[in-house]
Amino acid sequence: MRRREGLAAWVFAAPALIVYFVFLVYPALSSLWFSFTDWDGLSPGYNTVGLDNYKDMASDPVVRQAAVNNLIWAVVTVVVPVVLGLVLAVVLNGKVRGKPVLRLIFYTPAVLPLVSVASIWGWLYNPQYGAINAALRAVGLDSLAQPWLGQDSTALGATMVAAIWLRVGFPMLLYLAALQGISPDLYEAATVDGASRWQQFWHITMPGLKPAHYVVIALSVIDSFKVFDLIYAMTYGGPGTATQVMGTWMYFNVFQYNQAGYGTAIAVVITVVAVAVSIPYVRSQTKEHAI
Amino acid sequence: MTKTRGGLGTTVVMTLVALLWISPLVLLVITAVRPLSDFIANGPLSWPGTFTFDNFADAWGIGNFATTYRNSLILLVLKVPLGVFISAMLAFALAKLRIRFGTAIMYTVFLGLTIPIYITIVPVFVMARSAGITDSLIGLIGPYLAFGIPFEVLVLQSFFRQLPDEILEAARIDGAGAWRTFLTIALPLSAPALVTVFILDAVATWNEFLFALILLNSDAHKTIPVGLLNFQGQFSNNNTGLAAGILIAVVPILVAYTFLQRWIVGGLTAGASKG
Repeated sequence: MRRREGLAAWVFAAPALIVYFVFLVYPALSSLWFSFTDWDGLSPGYNTVGLDNYKDMASDPVVRQAAVNNLIWAVVTVVVPVVLGLVLAVVLNGKVRGKPVLRLIFYTPAVLPLVSVASIWGWLYNPQYGAINAALRAVGLDSLAQPWLGQDSTALGATMVAAIWLRVGFPMLLYLAALQGISPDLYEAATVDGASRWQQFWHITMPGLKPAHYVVIALSVIDSFKVFDLIYAMTYGGPGTATQVMGTWMYFNVFQYNQAGYGTAIAVVITVVAVAVSIPYVRSQTKEHAI
Repeated sequence: MTKTRGGLGTTVVMTLVALLWISPLVLLVITAVRPLSDFIANGPLSWPGTFTFDNFADAWGIGNFATTYRNSLILLVLKVPLGVFISAMLAFALAKLRIRFGTAIMYTVFLGLTIPIYITIVPVFVMARSAGITDSLIGLIGPYLAFGIPFEVLVLQSFFRQLPDEILEAARIDGAGAWRTFLTIALPLSAPALVTVFILDAVATWNEFLFALILLNSDAHKTIPVGLLNFQGQFSNNNTGLAAGILIAVVPILVAYTFLQRWIVGGLTAGASKG
């Protein structure tokens, strides 16, 4: 009886596991293998070159730039949306009219295809006809009007603004849900004791949101390492290499410069970092559900 | 008295912030319904002097949207129900069938949430090429399924766990096998979770870009995001046409989101937090 149930369990698990291993686990591991070769991505043969690709990365200035950009991207597009999302959630959880509409609006950008977000912001940033320069000129700040995506000094910042726009909604939703779990009695008691709003926020709200903080930050960090679509469609890594991140630089090496071995080495490095950073989250999800 | 005033002030501030947040989309709509000459003469922030729907007709034809819409829809129909179903099967095995190595399987599958898609593209491209299915929608289904599985299993298994064991036990005593218990009891009782996962997976499939960019070459096989990227390049000097094209690409997803947001919100919070 038990054995039959064990078999049934594997029959249930098999289809998804097979797909998962064939199209995710196996490709990820074979990328690791390719990263030790000089394969160009086209020829039938290649040589193994040991750690050469990884050594080359150390002396590749674009890799250094991409790594720095990834780091800046991770910090800014995690911290700003999480803080803004928290503020929005706390405000929306209080006395505000039209909550459902407000919530709808702030999450809307998150459901759009990233390519369309890139198109929309590329259009807003257009030096001549873009709304952003037009708005600056309208209020007399003509001197601030500039080609936002076309110069090294502002391009990365400009892409991050678009990322913040689309990423505020997710932490807001999670914090809103978590806020429902904090008992109103706590606030009432604190008010009776004469605690200010500010004190209540730090001593009741923030501790009450601790599990939510963990999940929000973990998922935001995981997401930030995956950046590709937005940069690719908005700046194509440019101007020059100003907005290259590891994902796009990998793409250029594999599909533009025919250096598949080197490209996969770049992907391996960022994946290892992403996985290492997220292991505590994965472990917590598994533990919570384990029987 | 002070309480209502406080609420009013906050409402005004929040409304202004929300207007700012939604303004890119509002500007997009205003630009899409005016002639290009009117846009250039009066600037992007002005109210249109005349209205027209010609931009949509132009963008629809030149952007090849009839084709890309069809392709994205085909993918959605082929991929999403299949993905949700096999994920539900695995989730059921993990939650209710006391599968061996369950914790190890969960760990392995949830790790997939953290893996950037681009680590797999070179081998996936090689596999598709040797199977002769590059430049075909069929070639996308495997990778799309694989990258959808971790989140779907995470949400569904936590939902299945909440189903009382007594109900499943009763069915077993009545002689129902695991398969019938799954189909006639577990799935119907989990309808809300299934709908949520279905919608989120549909959004992710509709929006997916990287695999489609790499595996699809010919215009006849492109999906909405890849088609939009090409269109953006062609229309870079036609601001009103570009705005119309972007809207054509995003309107279905905006409409679906507006009507189905309850499910999306519920699923995101359930999947991410304790479950």
